[in-house]
Amino acid sequence: MKALTQLARYTLMIFVALIALIPILWMVFGSFRSHQEIFEYATSLNIHLIIPVEWTLQNYVDVIMDERNPIFQFIGNTLFIAVTVTVLVLFFNSMAAFAFAKLNFPFKNVLFICLMSAMIIPGEVTLVPNYLLMNDLGWVDDYKALIFPSLVNVFGIFLLRQFFEEIPKDMMEAARIDGASWFRIYWSIVLPLAVPALITLGIITFLANWDSYFWPLIVLNDDSKQMIQVALANFSSLAGTEWAKILAANTISTLPILIGFLFVQKYYIQGISTSGMK
Amino acid sequence: MELKKSITPKKNLSISNKFSMSYGKSEKLAGIAFVLPIAVLLIIFMFYPMIQAFIISFQDFNLISQKKTFIGFDNYINLFKDKEFIASLKHSFYFAMVVVPVQGIISLGLALLLQKKSRINSFFRTIYFIPVVISTAVAATVFELIYSKDFGLLNAILEALHLPTVNFLSNPDTAMNGVIILGIWKAAGFFMIIFLAGLNNIPADLYEAAHVDGAGKIRQFFSITLPLLKRTIAFVAIITTIDAIKLSALVYVLTGGGPSGSTETTVVYIFRTAFEQMSMGYASAAAFILFAIVLIISLIQMKLFKSDVEY
Repeated sequence: MKALTQLARYTLMIFVALIALIPILWMVFGSFRSHQEIFEYATSLNIHLIIPVEWTLQNYVDVIMDERNPIFQFIGNTLFIAVTVTVLVLFFNSMAAFAFAKLNFPFKNVLFICLMSAMIIPGEVTLVPNYLLMNDLGWVDDYKALIFPSLVNVFGIFLLRQFFEEIPKDMMEAARIDGASWFRIYWSIVLPLAVPALITLGIITFLANWDSYFWPLIVLNDDSKQMIQVALANFSSLAGTEWAKILAANTISTLPILIGFLFVQKYYIQGISTSGMK
Repeated sequence: MELKKSITPKKNLSISNKFSMSYGKSEKLAGIAFVLPIAVLLIIFMFYPMIQAFIISFQDFNLISQKKTFIGFDNYINLFKDKEFIASLKHSFYFAMVVVPVQGIISLGLALLLQKKSRINSFFRTIYFIPVVISTAVAATVFELIYSKDFGLLNAILEALHLPTVNFLSNPDTAMNGVIILGIWKAAGFFMIIFLAGLNNIPADLYEAAHVDGAGKIRQFFSITLPLLKRTIAFVAIITTIDAIKLSALVYVLTGGGPSGSTETTVVYIFRTAFEQMSMGYASAAAFILFAIVLIISLIQMKLFKSDVEY
């Protein structure tokens, strides 16, 4: 009986794993087959529904060489924005979190309440006025429009504040007596202790920016500056039935993130767990 | 530039004044300097636009003609008469009403399946989480091909299993179900992790005591796990509902709102109104109605799920 329930359990686990993975495997393997082959094997259930018969790199050559859609430029643009935003988010939000956790200053509570109420404002509501603001500032088509509005991360401040609160105040007071400035205390004592939380917030911020679609679609008109997600969606809708190329373009922009995720998944998953514990 | 300016004074303050100032005073100044960048950004990019959106929602404001006229509640009144807007609300609600329970049960089921700490389980957790990392545009693009009527993977599998084939995205009656399946595929792993965290918080001795008292697994689930998981369930329900009602990029890339508007969600409607028709006032009013709905739903849910179980 016990063996039977175990068997059922593992069967279920593998079945769910297949559902999770097959669309991704289909994408990756499909990118290595010819246009004809995808359609030739598409109607019957055999291993070649997913696994290529004749492997080819032609789709990758076509996608990479496509001068009208320079995919590596789009990836580069997106990496630049995602990394810049992540670094700035970590810096400014950790400073604020430190102040909220450890320092007494005027308007602290008022500001904290403002921060909390900002959490309930959906980005969708401020889409129009934020666009108008970018328009007024002359930031349309400018990467500033992607960077500055994304810098406040209320969730990040909460996460880091929890972390900072556990640091004993004695440690900071000792450093003050030794003549360390507040910035030095923050930079050399507090931040190093919060590295796991910073990594978590960093990954979440990076992925959110890598994934962003509507905002770049709205504020960027110049195609050469476009972010990868918008470029991919455009490319895919223009490529029509060229499935092999669509899959290759999507694979190029997914695999690095996926592999990176496997290395840092521990931190990411930990961060999500913490967010559910509020 | 603006930001750099706000950092420098703080550095100077805390270095040059560290001896001349009392501990408390320098702490106050440091605190203000540390939160200043965030406070400024919050005002410029959150509160100012929020107030602007509210003002604009009472205006007839078209970006092309550059005309701005105050028209009172006309935008709101017209929206409630606007069939397309009402339909978009219905689509968003339909999505939410299916996704919240179904996805909730699936992710709780997955969490229970992988609850025990073991190597195999953590391997499967990683696998179940992978769809979360796939970006929205990629997932939507690939699923569009998988759903394709003649050559899509889904129908090939259904046909081989002698099941009726489906034609999700070209049929207005079923297109939303295609969106729902993709939504659940992409998000279930995320909420599984949150449920796992909640499950880990339940003290193991409760189960031991129940076991000693002769309670079976099913009994334990209903009298220990579920009640003690109430807070996590509430959290997941609220987050999923809000996300579902705000559904946008996923459906926009997958179906573009079609066929014949059958998957146009409220956010897609707002986006179209603002950036295709350039009616900023009308779109802002729609956004505020959406905001009010989201707010009311989360308040109701918070009340409903208010946990009286402490552990």
